[in-house]
Amino acid sequence: MSVLSFILASPLTPLEHLARHVLNWLHFTVGLPWAWSIVALTVIVRMLLVPLTVKQIHSMQSLQRHAPQMKEIQKKYKQDKQKQNEELMKFYRENQINPAASCLPMLVQLPVFIGLYYSLKNFAKEPAALHPGNLSFLHFIPSIADHTTSHWGGFVLLVIYVGSQMASTLFMAATVDKLQRTLFMVMPLVFVFVIARFPAGLVLYWVTTNLWTVGQGLITRRLVPKTPAPSLFDKKSSRTPPKDEGDGGGNGAKPAPESPQPQPQPQAASTAPRKVRRKKKAGRR
Amino acid sequence: MYRLGVGLVWLYRVTFGALFPTTCKYEPSCSQYAIDAVRKKGLVRGSLLAGWRLLRCNPWSHGGFDPVR
Repeated sequence: MSVLSFILASPLTPLEHLARHVLNWLHFTVGLPWAWSIVALTVIVRMLLVPLTVKQIHSMQSLQRHAPQMKEIQKKYKQDKQKQNEELMKFYRENQINPAASCLPMLVQLPVFIGLYYSLKNFAKEPAALHPGNLSFLHFIPSIADHTTSHWGGFVLLVIYVGSQMASTLFMAATVDKLQRTLFMVMPLVFVFVIARFPAGLVLYWVTTNLWTVGQGLITRRLVPKTPAPSLFDKKSSRTPPKDEGDGGGNGAKPAPESPQPQPQPQAASTAPRKVRRKKKAGRR
Repeated sequence: MYRLGVGLVWLYRVTFGALFPTTCKYEPSCSQYAIDAVRKKGLVRGSLLAGWRLLRCNPWSHGGFDPVR
């Protein structure tokens, strides 16, 4: 075990030092308490990731617009999961959809998470003189370096974690597959037992990042329908040619009946945003 | 030697991958691709291929069917 921890520790120590440096800066220079330094660190990371997430949310909305057609493909290849995935990917390509999910934005958070984990563990080990100041958070967590369940406040934090994780899944689970969505919703209930052993500060990081996700989801949902209706404009804009090529593929035949629907109203531009919103809701149900 | 790579991918899958649920836009998924790559090309080339795949798996790419060749 010690060999494994040695092998793991060598590439991970720089991450720990980096996280600690940022925390130190936020605490000593900016003057935040330790717990709020973690919140601030989280916010900084998420702010850096905004361009990635905004793009991701846009793709998610275009996925939801195409949900009915995708469901049809799923039904068609119910037995063969592999074939189903391949057909879905083909459909994305033909319709110029970028699947919302991607591994990179999630992986960017991995080093931060690891760095924070190790520096919080060090907080518990090192003499208190190295981190002068209060380690408590909002009077209900006595120390962010202790195990989450070492105080009743930790349990409150865990409940908030489960709630926020479920809410963020609701916004960001980049899949229309019902089973997968349910799985993602149930996951925090299982992982709460793992997380209970983590330092409270790490759970704080989690809760903050989840709440950020929820806030971001709410804001972009508000803002996006106000921009010129993407579904209508996409169909008429220069992006159409690749889609037309794909129509020969067989799946492309489906979008056709959808486009005549909005056409009865000539001034589509003003009514369009409402339409998009309705379609999205239908997709989510 | 490739077992080390496969083991690391599994370590990721049961820890961080499970904690931060996400789905991949590629088929096979990035982690499966990494396992296939390490099996087929060995630890070093496989890891490089997997790293390149991870970089491609960003919000601007289209995803799709992309097995290890």
